[in-house]
Amino acid sequence: MAVRTIEVRERVMARNDAFAAEVRRRLSDAEITAFNLVSSPGSGKTLLLERTMAALGEELGIAVVTGDVQTQNDADRLARHTTRLVQAVVTGGACHLDASQIATALEAIDLDQTHLLFIENVGNLVCPASWDLGEAAKIVVFSVTEGEDKPLKYPKMFQQARYAVLNKVDLLPHLDFDVDLAMDNARAINPGLRFFLTSARSCEGLDAWYRFLREQVRAVVRQ
Amino acid sequence: MHELSLALEVCRLAEEVLEREGGVAIRGLGVEVGDDAGIEVANFRFCLDALLTEPPLTGARAEILAARGDSLRLAYVEVDDGRSDD
Repeated sequence: MAVRTIEVRERVMARNDAFAAEVRRRLSDAEITAFNLVSSPGSGKTLLLERTMAALGEELGIAVVTGDVQTQNDADRLARHTTRLVQAVVTGGACHLDASQIATALEAIDLDQTHLLFIENVGNLVCPASWDLGEAAKIVVFSVTEGEDKPLKYPKMFQQARYAVLNKVDLLPHLDFDVDLAMDNARAINPGLRFFLTSARSCEGLDAWYRFLREQVRAVVRQ
Repeated sequence: MHELSLALEVCRLAEEVLEREGGVAIRGLGVEVGDDAGIEVANFRFCLDALLTEPPLTGARAEILAARGDSLRLAYVEVDDGRSDD
């Protein structure tokens, strides 16, 4: 037999990144800001989105793509706040969303009526860090029940994120969690990280979060 | 955990090369993995070996080439063109 060695040097993520570029182009054309919410399971992403949809869903034309390994429970929870804009992706075992799934999900969303898109990624602080979904930025959500050293344990996710939501702050009186230490740890990984301290349960800190979202949408629409 | 997705994509890319080159089987492939690529190499190798059991990849040898940074590339593919040596 004749075996030839073919030099390839092709990036393994090239196909995903081509889909991500296509998603980014479609979102840009439609003047939509997209955030990729990443976190470990149970950080409170879905409740944060429920509050956000209830407060700003109509005003900002919010659409959501949810990713879960199984069930569309998160999409069902969010759909109570809107009649049209929630797309569920069931990954069937995969630990992350990829950009081709977002490209497909966009087909079912009325982009003309949307200004803000949330992608609620699979709860996992490792794998989703490696996949560009065409978002404007990743927002890492972690909660005060998780430990101050989470950013040190999962540095790639905190490097990749531009914003961090520290959630469940209503529980602080019952915990030994050191907020300053957690933020210092995160900024040791990513000095530019902008923080929001929230409780999706008690609504503490959500005003600043809503202000931020309004600013982001206005900035894109104004361009 | 995402190593299986990446290994699947490596196999897809290698099969594209095979088709482009008009070969009949893949005998080996090399993947460049950076030390900051977010990949657990032993797990990635396990996933690759598990996938190299079906035609046209049956029995292909996978080589992991250590690299710096976040590089993750299919470096080379050994294509069997099905012709006799003599």
